Amino acid sequence: MTRPGDQISGFGLGLRPQHFSDVLAAPPPAGGGDGAGVDWFEVISENFMAVGGRPMANLMAVRERYPMAMHGVSLSIGGPDPLDRDYLLSLKDLADRIEPAVISDHLCWTGAHGINLHDLLPLPLTEETLDHVAARVREVQDVLGRRIALENASTYVTFTADSLTEWDFLTELTRRADCDLLLDVNNIYVSAFNHGFDAEAYLAGVPAERVKQVHLAGHENNGDHIVDTHNAPVADAVWELYRKAVRHLGPVPTMIERDADIPPFAELVDELAMARRLAAEATGGAAA
Amino acid sequence: MTGALTTVQELFQSRLLAGDETIRVHLTAGGPHLDVYDHAYLARLREVMGEDFPALHTLLGDEEFDAAVTGYLAQHPSSERSVRWLGRAFADWLRGTSPWADLPVAGDMAAFEWGLGLAFDAPDADAIIPDVLAATSPEAWPLLVFDFHPALNTFVLTHDVADFQQAVTREDDPDRAPEAILNGPETWAAWRDADSLRVQFRPLSEDEASGLRLAREAKTFEEICEALAGRDGLDQGDAAMRAAGMLQGWILAGWVAGISAEGMTLA
Repeated sequence: MTRPGDQISGFGLGLRPQHFSDVLAAPPPAGGGDGAGVDWFEVISENFMAVGGRPMANLMAVRERYPMAMHGVSLSIGGPDPLDRDYLLSLKDLADRIEPAVISDHLCWTGAHGINLHDLLPLPLTEETLDHVAARVREVQDVLGRRIALENASTYVTFTADSLTEWDFLTELTRRADCDLLLDVNNIYVSAFNHGFDAEAYLAGVPAERVKQVHLAGHENNGDHIVDTHNAPVADAVWELYRKAVRHLGPVPTMIERDADIPPFAELVDELAMARRLAAEATGGAAA
Repeated sequence: MTGALTTVQELFQSRLLAGDETIRVHLTAGGPHLDVYDHAYLARLREVMGEDFPALHTLLGDEEFDAAVTGYLAQHPSSERSVRWLGRAFADWLRGTSPWADLPVAGDMAAFEWGLGLAFDAPDADAIIPDVLAATSPEAWPLLVFDFHPALNTFVLTHDVADFQQAVTREDDPDRAPEAILNGPETWAAWRDADSLRVQFRPLSEDEASGLRLAREAKTFEEICEALAGRDGLDQGDAAMRAAGMLQGWILAGWVAGISAEGMTLA
């Protein structure tokens, strides 16, 4: 079997260890984004950095059949500590092995003074933050030798110092750092609900040509706020927002993330078919 | 960097690690949903510890395990890029912290589970084949030093926790509590089978544990033989035979990833 190329199109899933055997037993994708099941997988970068044994063997077996994207959670692009050079080199090593279509992380910070809080923490949306993040994105891209994509995280607080909307911040960031975006439509919905902004204005405000990947996931509605839990199917309201996103963005590789209460693989493939249907309707049948 | 951003981040971190309220003056409306971050921080790390130490969890029960994890995390905030390494110091912490220091089986179980985890996903390396020894010239032998496969690791136990841990892994009820090792403590090794990639483990005799420790410290074959002779009162020849036998076993098990002799080229 020839290893698939390093581009993604169509519809993917986050690769989770529980599903390795199902993934390897399934017929491989037809390619070109017209498959009926899963066209590509995204992996959490940190889970495979400096790792061998069964996890790496499984990863490489899946890579022989599917194109991939790499998604990180510890870059801390907005953090106060210097970027971790060893981490970046390890990330590059992994990228050299699996040749991902996209390398992404989050617009967030994860800790200070050498501590990692292992959460995607919110940044004040200010000029100071923009300068700081843009310089660091350039530094990361210099090490990796390619663009990265930054994802909008769900947030539960905003700062009194905020002077930019998140979509203006991201747009300006793509200009200053020459980076791409990973748009999480569920996170837009969650943050819009929590902070009372207009999700459609967000969608209209981001530069479509910079969006290389879309995330969808489930959330938990607690009445006065929503938490991005990745433990449930995509909510109806998020599907509706996704339909609008596709109209604005055109066909963009789209995937579903599930990180808790992980269902059988076939259930996620069924859910992914919904994304495929909605995208086809919204684009008049153009492949993502 | 300096400025308002750093100040806000330091306050946010103080909030998550120590419950500091000061960050609220920088949050819109005082941050009515700040508790989402409070909750997520500890919940995420507790979940990871539960996944990495399931047998210890079963052994201690929910309440005691949660207390141990909470105490550990309070003293060991993560400095790791991957949560994979969050529990790195847990066994040592249990062994040195009251009340778990008085329950050595807890530290033993944590050390065992951690060692098996290391063997499971340590980076790959090619093990050398036994033929390498046969092709080594007699004059090279005393100078031989060894590199070991990253998956090989050792840990010291005072209780035989293996049966209990294996039962938990199979999702069976362990039928008895781990028992103290007679004449303990004992060094155990964990490693990964090169073909199946399955994790293996076994206890080491005292002389093998000592020889392996020296070999992993990059001592020469001759130095290992001398230490064995000194330890067990063996003559030089018997010590060399014993060391060569151990080395053969390590190579057959796939523990040895490299062999070299200073100033010499090996076949």
